[in-house]
Amino acid sequence: MATASRSARPDTGTLFAIAAAVLMPVALGLIFFYVPSDADQGYSQRIFYFHVPIALTTYTLFGVSAVNAFRYLMSKDESLDLKSYVPMHLGVIFGTLTLITGSIWAKASWGVWWYWGSKQLTTFLIIFLFNCAYFMLRFSIEPGERRATFSAVYAVLGVGLIPLSVIGVHVAQTNDLIHPITFNENGANMDGSMFLTFLVALAAMISLSVTMYLIELRGKRIDDRLRAIRRLAGGEA
Amino acid sequence: MIDEFAVKSVAAVYGLAWVVTLAYIGILNAKMGRMERQLDEIAALMERRAASDA
Repeated sequence: MATASRSARPDTGTLFAIAAAVLMPVALGLIFFYVPSDADQGYSQRIFYFHVPIALTTYTLFGVSAVNAFRYLMSKDESLDLKSYVPMHLGVIFGTLTLITGSIWAKASWGVWWYWGSKQLTTFLIIFLFNCAYFMLRFSIEPGERRATFSAVYAVLGVGLIPLSVIGVHVAQTNDLIHPITFNENGANMDGSMFLTFLVALAAMISLSVTMYLIELRGKRIDDRLRAIRRLAGGEA
Repeated sequence: MIDEFAVKSVAAVYGLAWVVTLAYIGILNAKMGRMERQLDEIAALMERRAASDA
């Protein structure tokens, strides 16, 4: 009975996949057919509706990884090690996308692919590279409790860099005139239609990332169980 | 008049997002294939064990 009721109800991953499948075309529709072009930057400003949600999703994923890493350090629950590793992996994928999409936008708006003078860009790059190094640490240690503990400590340290980026943005408001500021103390720095489009695009991106997280987590769990069954069956793991 | 480079840039960004998503699905497909092969190996092991027990 338990199995029947479980299969009849869509799981969380399916619900987020449906949300992403609905929200993504809605977001694209709003971006290309509803929202007006920006008065200053023109058509290329439409990159903002994917670039910023991808960047915010990157921070969220690194944050989730750190929270689960901290929970692992407190409880030593092995499942939390995987729940810390998977969002870190996805965070690096989304971080790469942030850098590439930002670079294309920079070329279209500023005429350069990268601007070292922007504190916001540089702090993001530092956070990204720091989190990339997580994998070098993780895969240089044999699987087990030691690897999980070292990885968890590193993930927790990495999230400490995110407030630095936020401080960088606030410092940038006075010293860095090149990178646009989306939010300030007065709220969203855009009109109603742009903010609505941004929120839908953000919801779509978050739904997509949660779907990817749940699918990857499930895949890794199945892989682990298959290895265990193979060992029990007498084959090599 | 829309700047041609701006249009190409927007297309590149949105196209890249789709390519990454499709690549991710491709990687998942490869992983599923690997797990299917592992299941086949386990099933073969179990069958051999059952045959030797009988």
